[in-house]
Amino acid sequence: MTTTSHPGRHASADDPRVLLDDEIGVFGTVPPYPPRTEREAEFYTLGDGQMFLNMGPQHPSTHGVLRIVLKLDGEKVVDLDPVLGYLHRGVEKLCENADYHQVISQVDPLEYVSSLFCEWSPVMAFEKLLDVDVPRRAEYIRVLSGELNRIASHALFMGWFALDLGGLTPILWSFIERDEIVEMLAALTGQRMLFNYFRIGGVNGDLNHDFMSRLGDWMSRATGQIEANLTLLNQNEIFVRRARGLGVVDTETALAMCMTGPNLRATGSPFDVRRAHPYSIYPELDFDIPTRTEGDSLARYLLRMEEIKQSLRIIDQCLHQMPDGPIMAKLPRLLRPRPGRAYAAIEGPRGQYATYAISDGTDQPFRMRIHDPSFVHLQSVGLLMRGDLIADCMAIMASLDPVMGGVDK
Amino acid sequence: MDRAFRARLESRFGDVATEPIRQRHDETELRIPAAAAPDVLRALHDEPEFRFLMLSDLAGVDTGEQMQVVYHLWSETTSDWLRVVAEGIARDEPRTPSITFLWKGAEWMEREAYDMFWIVFEGNRDLRRIYMPPDYTSFPLRKDFFLPDDAARSPGGGVRPMERSHAPQGTSAGAIRRVKA
Repeated sequence: MTTTSHPGRHASADDPRVLLDDEIGVFGTVPPYPPRTEREAEFYTLGDGQMFLNMGPQHPSTHGVLRIVLKLDGEKVVDLDPVLGYLHRGVEKLCENADYHQVISQVDPLEYVSSLFCEWSPVMAFEKLLDVDVPRRAEYIRVLSGELNRIASHALFMGWFALDLGGLTPILWSFIERDEIVEMLAALTGQRMLFNYFRIGGVNGDLNHDFMSRLGDWMSRATGQIEANLTLLNQNEIFVRRARGLGVVDTETALAMCMTGPNLRATGSPFDVRRAHPYSIYPELDFDIPTRTEGDSLARYLLRMEEIKQSLRIIDQCLHQMPDGPIMAKLPRLLRPRPGRAYAAIEGPRGQYATYAISDGTDQPFRMRIHDPSFVHLQSVGLLMRGDLIADCMAIMASLDPVMGGVDK
Repeated sequence: MDRAFRARLESRFGDVATEPIRQRHDETELRIPAAAAPDVLRALHDEPEFRFLMLSDLAGVDTGEQMQVVYHLWSETTSDWLRVVAEGIARDEPRTPSITFLWKGAEWMEREAYDMFWIVFEGNRDLRRIYMPPDYTSFPLRKDFFLPDDAARSPGGGVRPMERSHAPQGTSAGAIRRVKA
């Protein structure tokens, strides 16, 4: 038998037919193959006194299955290389092989803490392809449920962020808020997390009594409860001093890194798709786009908390202005849009979600590109983290709030 | 639809555009040869009458006949999304210039397009696979890739195109889905 070299293995000296595992395998820190790019070669060359540390893929604070290779100098992070793909499902390929209605359930698990926003942008893109007008009541229901989902997502962010800074209590508190909203949405959509609720041309079901009574009940005490939650962190000196000045980014860098959402607004740029490129019924609603200028982790946290209050305002207006009427446009069961292209972007809790869809006239999309904000934000982690300590590494990442389901698609 | 914006685009980029500028809903589409992408995008980014500071999306597309790289841009100077379609990239050896010199954040999106379509972005300093394992040799979102998964052995195998691991029987290997996009 010829002993061919096998990545990660070598022949035993006693018996060449037996292959032994090398110390470095596919899951080792240093890859067992020659560097593919200049950057990879540069990263995997150690300087004086430096070492590698492999974090993940099953690290509890990476918010999913992410592996990060850290290059350390003592306790300082010199550089890092995120390794993705552990959750890759090939959603875009699956969507190209599903019909237009099936796409909605395929994209649901992308950002599993804010699924409604994952459904929203494909649905909007398909409506553009089909030239459908969505009934106003359906738009109001979409905004209402979407803003609820945004609050649930931001509430969870608060818990995660504090957890990564070492505080256990806030996540227990924030789950109270999130659980109530999730149960509420379950009453509306029938699912707690993967809602599969939006339809091309409307929504799946009308508002029902269960949902409305839960919502009214929650709204009456939501503001007070959220304020109480916030005092827990905002007045905590350890938390504030730890988060301030951590992972600072300025507007120009943020734009060059294609950042959107709260992470961009925390640098002072007021870009919010709801105002910058209005869609749905947002032009009719009265709400502010909070911005901050510091651009650090604390600013990103405070900005999200401010957004919760704005979402409450939007929900209040939706409830007061909710029109009567149908919740679905009249459409055939089998959709065959004319050949064409459409792009739709929405503002989610993490930033801009977008879909670029190409139709070739059949009942399946020819190409469906999903743009996910988590993916884009994760690549700037390395930029924000240079020179910080390992302990701050997770805090900075948590403050960008990526969800690995969306990153890996 | 922003008609004035279309006129501005036409007067500035009319000579590079491969097709007339089209508008539909809130989208304006500019089609250019792939080699011209860096110059056109730099002009769109820098010139005060355009100021497209935000790269909203970068997508690779395999139309079955050619490869495209599609950029979606946002600017406060217009109420439309601008879609720049860099077209005419050969399917058998797709190469196109990178735009990471304008938006560093395009790096991962270009890596994704490389991983999925084999589009080589010249000038991207870190062009390696991002989702698929390093020893993987296929490019999954190309139209000549059929999902090779366990579903092919399921009782319903072959019913839907996604359950085939090879080109459907009775068709030549070149028979793939095509569109004029």
